[in-house]
Amino acid sequence: MAIRNLWRSYERGSETVHALAEFDLTVQPGEMVGIVGRSGSGKTTLLNQIGCLDRPTTGQVIIAGTDVTALPERELVAFRRDHIGFIFQLFYLLPTLSVAENVGMPMLFARAHDRERVRAICERVGLADQMTALPGSLDGGDMQRVAIARALVNDPALLLADEPTGRLERQARDEVLDIFDDLRADGLAIVMATHDLEQAARCGRVIELRDGRRLEHAYEDSWPKAHCAT
Amino acid sequence: MNWTAIALKNILRRPIRSILTVAGVGVAIAMLFNLLEFQRGYEKGLRSELSDLGAHIMIVPRGCPYEAATIVLHGGKWPRYMDEEWYQIVRGTEGIEASTAIIMDAIIRDGGRENLIYMGIDENYPSLRQSWRYASGDWFSGTQAAILGSSVARSMGVTAGGSITIEEKGRIPATEVTVAGVLERTNSQDDGLVFLPQHTMQQIFGLQGKLVMILVKLADVTQTEQVTAALRSASAEADAGMNIFPLSELLGTLTSLLSSTRVFVLAIVAVAFIIGGVGVLTTILMAVYERTREIGMMKAMGAAKSDIFRLIWLETLFTTIGGGVAGILLALLSGRGVVALLKTILPHTPADFALGMSGSTLAICMGVSVVLGVVAGTWPAWRAASISPITAIRGGSS
Repeated sequence: MAIRNLWRSYERGSETVHALAEFDLTVQPGEMVGIVGRSGSGKTTLLNQIGCLDRPTTGQVIIAGTDVTALPERELVAFRRDHIGFIFQLFYLLPTLSVAENVGMPMLFARAHDRERVRAICERVGLADQMTALPGSLDGGDMQRVAIARALVNDPALLLADEPTGRLERQARDEVLDIFDDLRADGLAIVMATHDLEQAARCGRVIELRDGRRLEHAYEDSWPKAHCAT
Repeated sequence: MNWTAIALKNILRRPIRSILTVAGVGVAIAMLFNLLEFQRGYEKGLRSELSDLGAHIMIVPRGCPYEAATIVLHGGKWPRYMDEEWYQIVRGTEGIEASTAIIMDAIIRDGGRENLIYMGIDENYPSLRQSWRYASGDWFSGTQAAILGSSVARSMGVTAGGSITIEEKGRIPATEVTVAGVLERTNSQDDGLVFLPQHTMQQIFGLQGKLVMILVKLADVTQTEQVTAALRSASAEADAGMNIFPLSELLGTLTSLLSSTRVFVLAIVAVAFIIGGVGVLTTILMAVYERTREIGMMKAMGAAKSDIFRLIWLETLFTTIGGGVAGILLALLSGRGVVALLKTILPHTPADFALGMSGSTLAICMGVSVVLGVVAGTWPAWRAASISPITAIRGGSS
């Protein structure tokens, strides 16, 4: 995934606000990149750009060889469905659907429902025994596992996670990050926005945003040690 | 898993709200169902009743012919009479295969709670009553004889060979007549009548030389207009106070008398549908609002606008179809009560009038349910489909 000179600007009255400016980033398969920064620094805006939920003012986002900024809306929806997985802080599970049904939902959008695939994904994230359970009966960690399985079910090339452990206890948080490590080891590219410095420490590389701009750190690749010590 | 299953599960998320919405649609559908079945049942019953008369033209004394017809169809007492000699005018008209002259009166029994209706008939009457079968006995054996309808015979507990007494204090002195025959059940007004020889009845009731009705059967039904015109002309020449009209005209007029009522009820049904439709619209819009974040998530996961539109549309459609089924069940359960109510309100209802369940009424009611769902669901579905995933998810990050 490559981002080149990305800008996202908004008009606020007579003023132009740059939520993202001059942003460049490349993420390789099997790499987990953390995006850190204060609230309002542009983390979520960046994930929305990468996730094809919003279009940039200028610049390019290239995922799996496709310039997604040039895709028409209909193709963008299909691209997002087939190549990108999303994980949110609040899980957004459908309470009336079972774990398996929640996980299989993106396949329904792709008109390619495959029970075996759902079962395999559930087993991978440790939900094999809870496939018929309703989300209301699960704890936060298990709910996030369901959300991870749902994000993976269409076999995406890129996983985007926005504060994925923000509402989890420490143990559940570590378990989710363990799953991320496994996924990365299998070649999945992961971009994770977080406030949590410890969590960021588990990423291979960390990008810090401030006022929509990427801060250039000499220690970007050794960011965990530099920051966790503080 | 499929869209249908998801839509149904979403409806069941808020069971009480869904039940109330379905009930709103159900009441409107039940009203429509009853209105349509009422229209169908009424016309069918009226046609059957008029057909049971076995005649094509009815002649009654001057006055409101429809009031007369109603009394004649149900039986009763009407203080207007024709001169018996006018019957000769009818008999002398060409194109008539058979005719019969009738006198009718009623005696109030049980302190006004019940009317026993007597009908004086002549020897031509059975020719218009092809369906008459005797459970016991036969035609009048003499002048002081009676034929009883099946219901009357059962309530009086008499059979052929027995006797009954005709009496009304202060008006009709007690007169005993022999029961010559008891009719089998005809499912018409005849079941509740006591038939007497025409002249016997005129004497007993003090109505000598008077008639209430003449029924005319034509040799050729296509000549109805011509024979009616000839009868009217002859009646005018003789200055006879007769009201002559074909039964087909009576059917049309009686059903058209209902039209104004029907329009009124239809207006109420329309209002019920508007209320039901707005209820559905509000419920689905509320559900869309509550599920904004969820819809945003689905779009982020790759749901197309058409997927979201279909989901919300299906939920609306299932709600209104559920209302349609509930409404039809409600209509079927309340049918008897509605008929009983209508009989107290309407001036005339056919004797065997009932609300049934026809295929066309079912199809119309289910069709209306679907159309209501399509109409009420379009806007919420479009709104849901247009939700921006970013806005939705941002709204949900609280």
